[in-house]
Amino acid sequence: MIRPSCLLSLLAITLLGVSLQATDAPTITVRKSDALNVAFTGIGGGEGALASKVVQNDLTLAGWFALVQPGMASFTVSGAYAGGVLQGKVAKGGEVVLSKNYSGNPRLAAHQFVDDIVQTLTGHKGIATSTMAFVSNWSGRKEIYLADYDGSNGRQLTHDNALSVSPALTPNGRRIAYTGYQAGYADIYVVDLGTGARVRLVKFPGTNSGARFSPDGNLLACTMSKDGNPELYVVGMGGGARRLTHTRGAESSPAWSPDAAEIIYSCDETGAPQLYRISSSGGSGRLVPTGFGYCTEPSWSPDGQRLAFNVRSGGGFSIAVMDLNGGSARIVAQGENPVWGADSRHLIYSTGGTISLLDVPTGKSVPVISGLGKVTEPTWSR
Amino acid sequence: MRIHSFAILSVTALLALSGCANKKNKQYAGVDGDYVSGTPLGERADGANFMGANVQRGLYAPVQFAYDSSAVAPDQESKVSAVADALKGSGKTVIVAGFTDERGTQEYNRSLGEKRALAVREALIAKGLKANNVQTVSFGSEMPVDPASNEAAWAKNRRAEFGIVK
Repeated sequence: MIRPSCLLSLLAITLLGVSLQATDAPTITVRKSDALNVAFTGIGGGEGALASKVVQNDLTLAGWFALVQPGMASFTVSGAYAGGVLQGKVAKGGEVVLSKNYSGNPRLAAHQFVDDIVQTLTGHKGIATSTMAFVSNWSGRKEIYLADYDGSNGRQLTHDNALSVSPALTPNGRRIAYTGYQAGYADIYVVDLGTGARVRLVKFPGTNSGARFSPDGNLLACTMSKDGNPELYVVGMGGGARRLTHTRGAESSPAWSPDAAEIIYSCDETGAPQLYRISSSGGSGRLVPTGFGYCTEPSWSPDGQRLAFNVRSGGGFSIAVMDLNGGSARIVAQGENPVWGADSRHLIYSTGGTISLLDVPTGKSVPVISGLGKVTEPTWSR
Repeated sequence: MRIHSFAILSVTALLALSGCANKKNKQYAGVDGDYVSGTPLGERADGANFMGANVQRGLYAPVQFAYDSSAVAPDQESKVSAVADALKGSGKTVIVAGFTDERGTQEYNRSLGEKRALAVREALIAKGLKANNVQTVSFGSEMPVDPASNEAAWAKNRRAEFGIVK
């Protein structure tokens, strides 16, 4: 017997155009009644139009809410924007549950307001103020770009005119690391986004690539080949490197656990790449069984509960999500490079040269970056 | 705990010495021992850029690889020998650049490309070149020889190229 909740999931997956395999049993389902009924009455004030549009979009993308008419709503969101200040308010009937002023441009103020709404009503961190980084070949060479999580406010960060790839943001979004080839080899550069200062941090002989910041932003895990094989290392901001893995395979794509104690990564020692889990202070990598023969690019959800990664199934690449406390992996979308957002609910990923935002529980996917050349390797702050 | 680690180390060393190291343990990706899995790279040649004017590319035929493999196949050995024979005793530095086909995710391909470059480097060292004179770089799936998406193009793109530092 198929429960209605399963049917909903099936429908969502079918709508996404994902082929269902026997192993892809849906394990996470959300019924419409799980969403909070929220009414948005708009942002008033002389300059409220843009803020209103952004709040509406953020509330829709957040995934936690069903936007309904005021009469049906449990909560009412309203506000006014004037003189560079957004006055935001959320009420439950006659009771005000959130009232706060946000100064700054309408877009940023709206994002901050919605993140506060998400925090207040659900207890979860929001994604609306996240910064996204990605690679685009728009200028003719691959360079690093930045944008807001919804695709607005896009700007080119690097002008290296070489190859600039594999961006990683610190969780607070203030610094970015990437792999740059301008010196002829693959090196890891770190840029302070506040000052624009750039450091060529990792420049050992061979290839240095795939840096990922630790949750506190003070360490980088990355792949280096200086010792004669691609292995994982942990590097401090002073540049000193500590070796993590010792295998005959090619390691790549380290993903930190939220408490920084462990790293899950990809290694092809036994043939096709598989995922392994290792203490971030060293030791042995233990296989993470996924049920898939080819797994790369893991991302560990900030709540520590789930893993998203790439699998190869058939001719193409799919994104799988797996509960780390047990349970089988299931395909949630077609694409590459999934990265969890701050809410442990959304993934951004690349598909067909665009970047999409996926709400995992509902299966809804929205393109956020397209028409900017071929865009790949997205990541975002938390 | 210490004794346990030492035991694992010894077993690994024995396995490596007895040539059984390719009997892979399915549960563990390596053990925490500092055995060298390749010849460490020497300092880079100053200012040498594989894609720059100070490196001569295209003098030697690239080494081709099977899908998802970084092993230098027997039928590719002569290409490595040609480079080793030409450079032996010259003191010149060669940069081996590894490439993959477009399949596979980007960062995995960078790692796989580097493994290919390192495999060719080991072969060059085995054929007489000094370790410090052989550098590596990986471009992953960038700069394909043939941009088409078919088996023939992919086979051409899975390669390691040689660049001689002028």
